[in-house]
Amino acid sequence: MVALGREGTPADAILGVVPREVVEPATLDEAAEVLAACARDGRAVAFVGGGTELELGAPPRRLDVLLRTARLARVVEHAPADQIAVVEAGLPLGELQRRLRPHRQRLALDPPLAERATVGGVVAANAYGPRRHRFGAARDLVVGMSFVRADGVLAKGGGKVVKNVAGFDVPRLLVGSLGTLALIGTVTFRLHPLPEADRTVLVPMLDAGGLRALAAALGQAQLEPSAAAALLTGDGFQLALRFEGFPPGVAEQAQRLFALCERLGHGVEPLEEEGARAFWARHNAARSGGALRARLTFPRTGLEPAERLALRPLLASLGGAAAAIYPTLGVAFASGEPADPGAAARAVTEARAALAAAGGSLVVGAAPAEVRARVDPWGPPPPGLSLMRRVKAQLDPEERLAPGRFVGGI
Amino acid sequence: MVRPAVAPDLVHRMAAVVGAEHCISDPADLLVYECDGLTHGRTTPALVVLPATTDEVARVVKLASEAGLPIVPRGAGTGLSGGARPVPGCVVVGLSRMTRVLGVDLENGTIRVEPGVINLDVSRTVQAGGYYYAPDPSSQGVCTVGGNVAENSGGAHCLKYGFTVNHVLAARVVLDGGEVVDLGGPALDPPGYDLLAVLVGSEGMLGIATEVTLRLLRKPEATRTFFATFPSTDEAGAAVSGIIAAGILPAAIEMMDRLAIAAARAATGLDWPDVGAALLMDADGATAEVEHVSRRAVEIARAAGALEIRIPRDEAERQLMWKGRKCAFAAMGRISPNYLVEDGVIPRSEIARVLRDIGRLAEEAGLRVANVFHAGDGNLHPLVLYDARAPGEEERAAALGREILRLCVRYGGSITGEHGVGAEKAAAMADMFGPDDLETMARVRWGFDPRGRFNPGKVFPTPRLCGERPGPYQPHPLELAGQAERW
Ligand SMILES: Cc1cc2nc3c(=O)[nH]c(=O)nc-3n(C[C@H](O)[C@H](O)[C@H](O)COP(=O)(O)OP(=O)(O)OC[C@H]3O[C@@H](n4cnc5c(N)ncnc54)[C@H](O)[C@@H]3O)c2cc1C
Ligand SMILES: Cc1cc2nc3c(=O)[nH]c(=O)nc-3n(C[C@H](O)[C@H](O)[C@H](O)COP(=O)(O)OP(=O)(O)OC[C@H]3O[C@@H](n4cnc5c(N)ncnc54)[C@H](O)[C@@H]3O)c2cc1C
Repeated sequence: MVALGREGTPADAILGVVPREVVEPATLDEAAEVLAACARDGRAVAFVGGGTELELGAPPRRLDVLLRTARLARVVEHAPADQIAVVEAGLPLGELQRRLRPHRQRLALDPPLAERATVGGVVAANAYGPRRHRFGAARDLVVGMSFVRADGVLAKGGGKVVKNVAGFDVPRLLVGSLGTLALIGTVTFRLHPLPEADRTVLVPMLDAGGLRALAAALGQAQLEPSAAAALLTGDGFQLALRFEGFPPGVAEQAQRLFALCERLGHGVEPLEEEGARAFWARHNAARSGGALRARLTFPRTGLEPAERLALRPLLASLGGAAAAIYPTLGVAFASGEPADPGAAARAVTEARAALAAAGGSLVVGAAPAEVRARVDPWGPPPPGLSLMRRVKAQLDPEERLAPGRFVGGI
Repeated sequence: MVRPAVAPDLVHRMAAVVGAEHCISDPADLLVYECDGLTHGRTTPALVVLPATTDEVARVVKLASEAGLPIVPRGAGTGLSGGARPVPGCVVVGLSRMTRVLGVDLENGTIRVEPGVINLDVSRTVQAGGYYYAPDPSSQGVCTVGGNVAENSGGAHCLKYGFTVNHVLAARVVLDGGEVVDLGGPALDPPGYDLLAVLVGSEGMLGIATEVTLRLLRKPEATRTFFATFPSTDEAGAAVSGIIAAGILPAAIEMMDRLAIAAARAATGLDWPDVGAALLMDADGATAEVEHVSRRAVEIARAAGALEIRIPRDEAERQLMWKGRKCAFAAMGRISPNYLVEDGVIPRSEIARVLRDIGRLAEEAGLRVANVFHAGDGNLHPLVLYDARAPGEEERAAALGREILRLCVRYGGSITGEHGVGAEKAAAMADMFGPDDLETMARVRWGFDPRGRFNPGKVFPTPRLCGERPGPYQPHPLELAGQAERW
């Protein structure tokens, strides 16, 4: 077998699995050649972007070649008037935002670690932040993609226009597929204008019931925040609501929130720029710190039982625990240091059972090996698993793309 | 068309599942199911069954699979790309009896329905609580949720709120062999591949949706509308670009050219002037934001060269303006004996240039083209006017329609923004996608439906059979009955 790249080192490992070789193609055609070569001699491949999300999923069953996307980092096209950008997968999200800013535009995806996370990794991991409340997640912002299949074939799906129903939606299938179906080569995103005004208002003290009730009351009061995120503080939560838009609208929305909170008997605190930045930085830290990280989902009306029966017991098994809740979306992120792996694993399993009862789930985004040994990062197999396997078998019949990383051992 | 016979035994067994009165094999009764909204292409199905539950759908699909017959799912049959058109020897599975609302959960903002529920009935069911279902195809009074899911349908207000795919949270699907699978769920992002996103827009080729959970939105507090006229589509196009560039996301922004305005005027008696182009824009949301946004949009339209701006005094006047826009399609009959409708997408910054190119192509073909469309997302609906009695004109019109789609692709756009590929545009897929792209889509299909049981012959280009041709537009019976209007 010809060598495709340099030799792998422990620094290249995915969850302890060291690749035999590491390649960094400079163009998509080169990436396609690498994958075609791997197909010829049956080498297993995994893809790495910024490496911020490599602990998500299980360790690969085998790993011959690690393909880094770092050099696939061009902005292929930015059409400001059409509010779309075509970018290569290895471009860090933060860098993309910097390129868009002079045109007063942005990609409305705000996962933590945007400086390191690449757009391909964000899309492959379906990563998102609090702005999902208004703008949706990657699946709602991706309008097209080019990708390299396991057999080395470079293909595309979707298009460059926001409205398009020609053919099956392969790009949306690749969102969240964690590199197990194809290498994401370029992504065409729908962009949004940068808001003229941006204001964060804090409701400093709420319990879970208050959080759910206030989130529900937003709609009734015709409040349209772009983001709603709560951070754990001791027994309760601090809820931040972000309003973005034109100055008169943002001012009116903040006023309305004050009135609503007064009616409900909650204190409110408009944050100055500095305070707002600090809050969102704390939010990002809560989501990206800790040796164990988990994402909990639930129907948004089920916030109280999810907190009581899943989130709190899980946090109790962690040292230095932090948590962020997106109450309007029905998502919570927990993180911390598991003192006793057995206890942490039990807490994950019990939290899972509690969430599953309401149709939710718990995904472990990171965990020490001793915890991993005791729980599957994805939880019990989802109902569509056999169908998922059949789709996987069509696109990667030899199971060479990140084998074993995904749900149900896919 | 010679109808391949179905084994009487199969008819019998199907009838045992759905009830004899819901199992249609009489040639005269089958005629109703020969086509969808695109009435020039017709094929008689072998059999039509109308199941009432997921279990019945599963059993019907199993029987058809075992007999080796193709299966064509069908909602209301309003599709405009021949998607629900039968294929020879097929079993049509009509979902029109599955019309139950299975659950409304306003606190979570969701509704669970059977696929035969009419789009507008979803909004009607929840309107008292201040909610609505956002995707609003103009056929919304008659088309079904199942059809919307299969076509990823849109409407004028999708610019701001997104298409069907952005509003479907879960679906129960019957696959080949009768296997039932649940995709999506009551909470976000269930672990695994997002197969639900693939199901939406799959044009009935992966399986049959028998239950769908939809996202509901709260009705916006305020809506502001204005109508602006321009000397030509150049200035109107510049106004659209200017509004978008100012960071404004209108709820809807629609454009009409001179011919379309004339037709609307003739049909409704509206006092619209004889001008080169007009825009109709809705902004919605919270009051202060909406007022600010619509004021700015009006200023931008003026700066772009608007001749006149009209702001409706009340809701009745607003509805009248929208009526003018909505009827522009049906109104074509006033200015032309026949017309065919295209559905293509272009980058919206290219509107003015593409419209000029279309004008040039029309001139070369010796035909007129009227344009009335969703300008905000560049979704064109060019209406090619012709006279079927004039020898050769129909063929020239069809050729012009195809040429316009190629133009859309050349400008980086799409061959369809909302009507789907179906049987009609399968050949045009090759203008947009290469063999590898198409093969990837086909692989996804084989994953769901390895034997190609569902709706075969659609979407994927195959060499055209002789005698098959894209035909002229003919009014859908629903339009003739005044129940739906076309955009
Ligand atoms: C369930 C979940 C939980 C999360 N939890 C957290 C959290 O607790 N803290 C936090 O900070 N962020 C979290 N995120 C967001 C995440 O950190 C990042 O923002 C982003 O996903 C990582 O991007 P990256 O470039 O670093 O990708 P990487 O970590 O390099 O890659 C992520 C995955 O995508 C694959 N991949 C990368 N590039 C490609 C490509 N071009 N084609 C195909 N596959 C590719 C990799 O093989 C890998 O499996 C979470 C996301 C999800 C979905
Ligand atoms: C006057 C008029 C105006 C229109 N305006 C618009 C518009 O503004 N925007 C727009 O997007 N479309 C529009 N359309 C097109 C059409 O209404 C939509 O495509 C609609 O979604 C079709 O729904 P239907 O129930 O009639 O489906 P059908 O025409 O019966 O079927 C359409 C496709 O869906 C499949 N299908 C149906 N039910 C199911 C199911 N339960 N599971 C799986 N597959 C299924 C069929 O096999 C077929 O491929 C218009 C049509 C007309 C006649």
